[in-house]
Amino acid sequence: MSDEAKARWQAASSSLGERSAYKKVWDLQARDPDVASLSVAGHTDETTLELTARGFIDTLKSTVGVSPDDVVLEIGCGIARVGRPLSRECLHWFGADISAGMLGHAAARLGDRPNTTLVELSTVGLQEFPGDAFDLVYCTVVFMHLFEWDRYRYVEEAFRVLRPGGRCYFDNFSLDSEHGWNVFTEGARYPLERRPAHLSMSSSREELGTYLRRAGFTDVRVHDLPNELIAATGRKPD
Amino acid sequence: MDGIPPVSPAPGGPVSRVAALEAELGAVRRREAEFRAKMVHEFLDRGERNTYVHVLHEERAALIKRQQESFADLEDLTRKLEAESARAAELEAELGEVRRSLAWRLAAPLRAAARALRRPAPVPAAGRAQVEGGVFTYYLHTSPFRMYRDARFTLRGWAWPQDGRAVTAVRVCIDGRAFDGRHGLEEPEVVKRYGPQPANPRPGFEVTFETPAGRHSLSLEAQVEGAAWRRIMATSIWCEPHGR
Repeated sequence: MSDEAKARWQAASSSLGERSAYKKVWDLQARDPDVASLSVAGHTDETTLELTARGFIDTLKSTVGVSPDDVVLEIGCGIARVGRPLSRECLHWFGADISAGMLGHAAARLGDRPNTTLVELSTVGLQEFPGDAFDLVYCTVVFMHLFEWDRYRYVEEAFRVLRPGGRCYFDNFSLDSEHGWNVFTEGARYPLERRPAHLSMSSSREELGTYLRRAGFTDVRVHDLPNELIAATGRKPD
Repeated sequence: MDGIPPVSPAPGGPVSRVAALEAELGAVRRREAEFRAKMVHEFLDRGERNTYVHVLHEERAALIKRQQESFADLEDLTRKLEAESARAAELEAELGEVRRSLAWRLAAPLRAAARALRRPAPVPAAGRAQVEGGVFTYYLHTSPFRMYRDARFTLRGWAWPQDGRAVTAVRVCIDGRAFDGRHGLEEPEVVKRYGPQPANPRPGFEVTFETPAGRHSLSLEAQVEGAAWRRIMATSIWCEPHGR
């Protein structure tokens, strides 16, 4: 099942030249539920999805905190891997994604969660949302699929939509970890003309920290996480 | 629960008072968070409505622009008509003078003889037989009733004969010169509205033709079942000198 799904994932890939056409690239990945799950989480079974999501929620709690009164926004929520369990621990969870196909799978997984809302983004940015609205904005395992300019755009937009005092979290893999180097060399092995658009690209600690500081966040910290990801967190000034 | 809960003096000592105040503060924070979540929902709803209103505004603007263009064309045509009328009056007057002249009257027997000897009128240069009109259900997405300002124009639309036969080719004839078009283009909305057309499942077409300056006759024609051509519609068109 998994190998077959991986083969279908390969078949659903767009070329690297289309990397900026995020809606097209990710809608193509979202056509098949297994491919969608593989492309956003790396696996397809619900138990593993729940387990990895729990692990991420623990990371959120230890870095920026999660409160039952939080209004939360996830950027690039995909199939709502995190949103489903996180919605039990916050007041309202909003999931935004550029792919309507991914949101279709997310909606199917959130049928029993009334305090969740899914929003399709028209383009890079959070123009669908008002300013000063959220307590927490996070974005996990998304930056590796974006160009640097678009990563920063989301950081700027997170600043806008957070209420004063609101917290943010952004992560990516780093080149100087074992996992990061493996991802990098795996990508490097692709023949030039067959590099897919969703190929993962790393961030550095300096890059993430700079984005947050330049966008206006305070208390900016860069964390080395146990799963070999790096994450930048910050707070919108009061 | 409506409104912010009142801060009331709590019974007991300072510790229980602090606990009561913290509980009230927690309730206020929750209500504030609920308000923000509601605000996001209202913003999202308004966004959807705004998108629809925006589309309507754009359509309205396009219609107004088209109306303004039509008024401009009408004005232009009116001026041309006035100029042509004045010229026609001048020519009429000139012709009247010629006819009243002595030379014209003296040459009358010669003109009569020439008329008698004149050959039958030649067939038009293109030699194309006049195409019979057919009964079609059709619609043109790009209206041919316009002032033509560019060197070429593409007529797009859909059509099928009302007797249910298949359209096998489409063309436009400008003064008898034929321009072949593409047919068999998808028109899902049309099929949805009129029901399936077994002989013409893809009734769309487009024909690009040249529009040399001046007045021309335009005839949109369809070939039915690989045989006879039938006229869908015909009109007279006016093409401006290009670049104007």
